[in-house]
Amino acid sequence: MENKNNVKIGVYVCNCGTNIAKIVDAEAVAEYASKLPHVALAKTYKYMCSNPGQEMIAEDIRENGLDRVVIAACSPNMHERTFRSALRMAGLNQYMLEMANIREQCSWVHSDRQAATRKAMSLVNGAVQRVLQHEALDSMTVEMNPAVLVIGGGVAGMTAALELADAGYSVHLVEKDNYLGGNIARVDLTAPYFYSARDLLTDRITRVKEHAKVNIHLNSTVTDLSGYVGNFTAHIKNLNGKPGNGSIPVEIDVGNVAICTGYKEFDASRITHFGYGKLPNVITSFELEQMLRAGKVVTRDGKAPKYVAIIHCVGSRNKEFHTYCSRVCCMTALKYAHEIKSANPECYISDVYIDMHAFGKGHEDFYHSSSQAKTLFLMYDKENRPVIHKAGPNENCDMLIEVHERLSGEHIEIPADLVVLMVGMEARDDAHEVAHMANISQDKEGWFIESHPKLEPVATTTDGIFIAGTCVAPKDIPDTVAQARAAAARILARISKGQIEVDAVYAEVNEDKCSGCRICNVMCPYSAIEFDEEKKKSHVISALCKACGTCVAACPSGAIKGRHFTDQQVLAQIDGIFSEVVYEVPEITI
Amino acid sequence: MKLKKKLNLSKQYKNIIMAIRVNPGYIDVLDQYGAEDVQLCYQCGDCSTICSHADDIYRFPRKSMRYLQMGLEEKLETSLEPWLCYYCGQCSEQCPREADPGETMMSLRRWLISRYDITGIASQFFRSKSSEILTVIFIALFTGAYLLFYGFSNGSLQIYDGEGAFLPSSFIHVFDLIIGGIMFLFLWLGALRMWYFTMVKGTSTPVPWWLYFTKLYEMPLHFLTQKRYAECEDNGKSKVNMPWLIHFGLAMGYTFMIVLIMIFIEPFQAGPKIQWYVHIFGYLASVGLLGGCIYFIRQRFRKIEHIQYKKTHSTDWMFIILLIIIVITGIVQHILHRTGLLELANITYVIHLMAVIPWFLRMPFSKWAHLVYRPFAMYFAAIRRAAFMRQEKLVGSLSVSMK
Repeated sequence: MENKNNVKIGVYVCNCGTNIAKIVDAEAVAEYASKLPHVALAKTYKYMCSNPGQEMIAEDIRENGLDRVVIAACSPNMHERTFRSALRMAGLNQYMLEMANIREQCSWVHSDRQAATRKAMSLVNGAVQRVLQHEALDSMTVEMNPAVLVIGGGVAGMTAALELADAGYSVHLVEKDNYLGGNIARVDLTAPYFYSARDLLTDRITRVKEHAKVNIHLNSTVTDLSGYVGNFTAHIKNLNGKPGNGSIPVEIDVGNVAICTGYKEFDASRITHFGYGKLPNVITSFELEQMLRAGKVVTRDGKAPKYVAIIHCVGSRNKEFHTYCSRVCCMTALKYAHEIKSANPECYISDVYIDMHAFGKGHEDFYHSSSQAKTLFLMYDKENRPVIHKAGPNENCDMLIEVHERLSGEHIEIPADLVVLMVGMEARDDAHEVAHMANISQDKEGWFIESHPKLEPVATTTDGIFIAGTCVAPKDIPDTVAQARAAAARILARISKGQIEVDAVYAEVNEDKCSGCRICNVMCPYSAIEFDEEKKKSHVISALCKACGTCVAACPSGAIKGRHFTDQQVLAQIDGIFSEVVYEVPEITI
Repeated sequence: MKLKKKLNLSKQYKNIIMAIRVNPGYIDVLDQYGAEDVQLCYQCGDCSTICSHADDIYRFPRKSMRYLQMGLEEKLETSLEPWLCYYCGQCSEQCPREADPGETMMSLRRWLISRYDITGIASQFFRSKSSEILTVIFIALFTGAYLLFYGFSNGSLQIYDGEGAFLPSSFIHVFDLIIGGIMFLFLWLGALRMWYFTMVKGTSTPVPWWLYFTKLYEMPLHFLTQKRYAECEDNGKSKVNMPWLIHFGLAMGYTFMIVLIMIFIEPFQAGPKIQWYVHIFGYLASVGLLGGCIYFIRQRFRKIEHIQYKKTHSTDWMFIILLIIIVITGIVQHILHRTGLLELANITYVIHLMAVIPWFLRMPFSKWAHLVYRPFAMYFAAIRRAAFMRQEKLVGSLSVSMK
């Protein structure tokens, strides 16, 4: 241990405008801090994170020879990076910083000025005691393999692959089916502009196939993914089991992975009200697409239907199955109304919906034009599904749909010869395996979770793994393409750096103490601990470690140390917080 | 107590839900009556909010438009709401989807007239322009031929009134009464059917018989004043509610004229001296009718000031053309009679009657029938409302519902 006698700590108490200062007496906190041992100076400032604030800190470090800094301000989540860079600017190791959170955990949640100020003092004392124990740490860098693995050959996967390949990097595109195009390959036209889905795909498929940089693996799945950002190893297995090499997975090395595995449609037979599978003329939207592609919309007997009913939100927006909206069905339903009506003007279309979600570009106009085409819109209640039953022999229609119509308040029955169920989107059955393999998380519905729903929509909590398209949540083609391009852009940015910096905060195994019990191997939520079979010791892959501390706590031998979160540091902070603070509130004038 | 029990029982019956069949194709039928834009409606309810006549019990135009979209024929047939609308056009101006609720209500009135009509003639006229024109021309020619035959066989073209007149007023009196009788027969038959649809089939609450007496005043009140039309806001475009004023003049013009020709035709036709005690009413009526004609034609060509004149159904044109011929020939023959040009007066009189007869005969089968149906609708609506309020008071609190 170095000699702590000459340590000089600078304490900076931020007012955060009035966010902190209106509840916490920042001046008093600074004055209190200045009297603590080893503290060379303590200051307040209006906005510590501003450029002048940072410069002030850097200047103090240079001129007063500070070697540790405590910043009492907001949460480290907010500005730790900012202040670390200020330390670096002044030539100090960036880990010689500690932040005391006196905003989110103090001024924002308290109303008693005296108590809040005392609490801020305690927090600052804790930070001062902790920073005394800090050690200089060095960040490390790893090489970035420029090859990319794209899982899923739908529109998202192909778009991402082309984007990456066009930039000059080699891409492995793995598709489970024996064709490219995914779900869109089953669609006829797209809403609202009636572009042919086939045209949209053909161009992509041809380019992907002809691209020298894209290596397509059809009928294949990724069975295993190991390694860490920049250095993944993937095992690709051919499902056809070709004699010779089929059963042996191909091993490829990649630096990043884009997961674009898409969705599956909801199984309409799960809703008994609709009689899907029992009533022959109740079909799903994908079955109608098939008819439209064949150019003929007919009932099972080959007759042109006089009444067609389209039922929205099948499997979506209901507590029983999925509460979310599948986003594409409303416009697709309107597209069907247009297509059927223009093919057969004698036909009357009833559109049985919950709410019309026409949020996208051109969608509201599309809805309007569907009204103009005399589509009958009938609104039903989310919790009160329509019931389809066979009509009597003397009726002028094949089926009757009974439903409580909300806009008229009437209990009605709708005649129908053909009923189209707008089946929603669901996470794929194998999404769980993919999530497990790539070490990413799923939400309760099975969709992959992004690292931030607003600001990081294509990144995951695992570095180097990106998600795009309908494996994240239901979305339409433009959004899917945008996400695929976003994921590609994120990957390209990393590749262009050549190497990647890894935070110096991670867990370390002291091999002398490690008994090889392997408890930590299974506990690690990031699969960052491997077992060295030769030495019979566990080893933390620092690039994968997120410094969560689970293994540190779990290790029965106390062999694992969390860097920057050592026992001494944490205990010193606790001691600091619990030491006595005396503060009487002065007369305030605000 | 007994009554309360009865009422509760009827409410129980109402709870047994029978599904009503939707008819998605019916919108195409109403299209022929002029409801061309109703499919655009997405039920926001702006129209009902701005309407000065819609309330918790009579919810329109939104609800009527919904029934139409869904093709709920029976709901529409038994409704009074279309008659409660006087087409000020504010709803159509307000409509965010340009679904034209005002015109939809107008179309529903046309459709209801054809529903009340037992013969099917009204429906034919509304749906086929040519059938109406041909019928009118046929009746006009037939009338002309008959009058000429009568005139030449019984009188002289040189004599207008009195002994040996071409068309003696005593003959015209009988002729008018026969034609008027036919007209009123069909109108009253229609009104009877209207009562059956709206009050028997369409009113679920029990109606105590005395309400038919206590609310009887509603009929003459609305017939004479059209006061609900005056309650429609005029958007502040003019100080006087012009559409109401003009309509009032026109309606009073009709009423005076009908009374004059049905009852006072003999002194009315006598001359050449002006019989002030009848003719003053004739002049007043002429001013009302002529003013109305000119105003309506001007509005329909300008199509700017009042949205209700933007669309003109073929039957509206027929009405205006016949009326203008009647008014002009009526005034001209009156002047010719006074100035002594008796041959010309008689010929003009024949032309006048050639327009009057088809006009009268057409009345029960055209929009004009609202002269009878609207006062009845006001009367029935007041009864239905009173019956409803009475039951709500007996059974429970008034349920608050969307307009």
